[in-house]
Amino acid sequence: MIEITNIALLVALIGGFVDLDSTATWQFMISQPIVAAPLTGVFLGFALGEILPGLRVGLMIGTILQLVWIEQLPMGMNVPPDAALASVLSVALGFSAGHMSDSYVIREVCNTVALLIAVALGLVGRSIDIWIRKLNTSIEKWVTRKIEGDQVFALAVGHVAGGTLTFSKAFVFCFVVTFFGVEPLRAFIQSLNFDQSTGFIVIQGLLPVIGFSVLASKCLQTKLELKFFIGGIVFFTILPALSWAAILLAGIIGWKLSGKAHAGS
Amino acid sequence: MQALNRTLLWNIAFRSFFLQASWNYHGMMNMGFLYALKPGLDKIYIEASDRQEAYKRHLEYFNTNPYFASTIMGVILNLEERFQKGEIGEDIIRDTKEGLMTAFAAIGDGLFWDSWRPFVAALALLLAFENFLITPILFLILYNIPHLILRFKGINLGYKMGTDVIHILPRFQIQRVREGLRYATLTLLCFLIPNYVNLHTPFLISHRLNEFFFFLEKIVQGIGASLAVALVSIAYHAKIDVLMISFLLMVSALLLHHWEILI
Repeated sequence: MIEITNIALLVALIGGFVDLDSTATWQFMISQPIVAAPLTGVFLGFALGEILPGLRVGLMIGTILQLVWIEQLPMGMNVPPDAALASVLSVALGFSAGHMSDSYVIREVCNTVALLIAVALGLVGRSIDIWIRKLNTSIEKWVTRKIEGDQVFALAVGHVAGGTLTFSKAFVFCFVVTFFGVEPLRAFIQSLNFDQSTGFIVIQGLLPVIGFSVLASKCLQTKLELKFFIGGIVFFTILPALSWAAILLAGIIGWKLSGKAHAGS
Repeated sequence: MQALNRTLLWNIAFRSFFLQASWNYHGMMNMGFLYALKPGLDKIYIEASDRQEAYKRHLEYFNTNPYFASTIMGVILNLEERFQKGEIGEDIIRDTKEGLMTAFAAIGDGLFWDSWRPFVAALALLLAFENFLITPILFLILYNIPHLILRFKGINLGYKMGTDVIHILPRFQIQRVREGLRYATLTLLCFLIPNYVNLHTPFLISHRLNEFFFFLEKIVQGIGASLAVALVSIAYHAKIDVLMISFLLMVSALLLHHWEILI
């Protein structure tokens, strides 16, 4: 019980810190899954004496969640699903539930099921976020009244209160989910048979498709581009997987074609 | 002679990191905007009543791309200074603020959210799939270079140039940069799709095609991944919610696994 309390407190602190970055402050993109999940993995791994496995789990989960949430943007009034909390909680649940198991399949299934739960938790996080913003609206009205009455101190109080609410929301949410979520997840995984378990690993392998599709849909604009895109996929299917070559080619194509588009316009 | 020194401007740029801490449905970023601007206003207005009016003016609705906010703050401080000297009217400040926040919201959202972040994410995903453990650090460094330059350089430019800052925007060729990023992201996707969607079928194992196993598996994976991407893209274009698509994909994966088409 003490161990899970400590883990839940650690996760709550990471969640609070990371969630502040998503819209409230900084926006360095620490809240992006590709950063938030490995960060949680490292801290959790440090606490449980397995830093490297923690980082690896974080990177794997962060990669998939980054792809699932790739289209969610905090533009204007839009409040996207809370990808930061989803990332922190999926690593917290998956790694805490599975790290003691000797079986590779069980560890992977823990991560995948935690990831799927976290997607739903990201939606819950969005609802709480909307509620916090409504609270901020009340605070704003109070601040406006005070400033009109020459009480300028209210601005700093109101502004800090908004940030504090965001942190507290994430802290409490992460603590509760981690504290009550790890044991039921472990029990659920143990109840699965081998066939069901490997089914979850197949899901994990397919999930990147969503992000790739969304990104391609957003980037492709003409039929000619689509033809070149398909040609590119064929090219990289036949060739050996050389990531440095892909990065180099992306740089050259980006540079050359942007110049062409510019000249055309 | 301008009243605000570089240290004060950087202090305001630093405070702009907290722009959205109190984001709300009424004034959106208004409290954050005034909170960041306050040290500058305090320096410009010596009279308490003038300062009070300036506070009220900037507690009005404000919403823009957060990375460009410090540039707007620079321009507004320039105008406030001129207003204090009696060179311009209050309406100029209001109109400029409204115009700039709309323009920079469109430019910033398009550049950062629609182009720069997807490109850096695609690059980071490629490195992460390769098990490059320092990927998150590289992502943060690469993403934040233009962000931090804009935050701190933007406020100085805005303050020095005032409304003329809008005239130097074409120099940055933002549309060209966005196009380049879009093509680069597509190229990275061409590599990611056939290599990092894990589709394994028992067919190749059961037919004992040992000598070509890895090549054939890559071909099968490439074709399968392309088909899956095409189907999901059609669903996405048909305005089906991404979470619903994820759910359908999961069910399909479980069924294909159950029928032993995928392992």
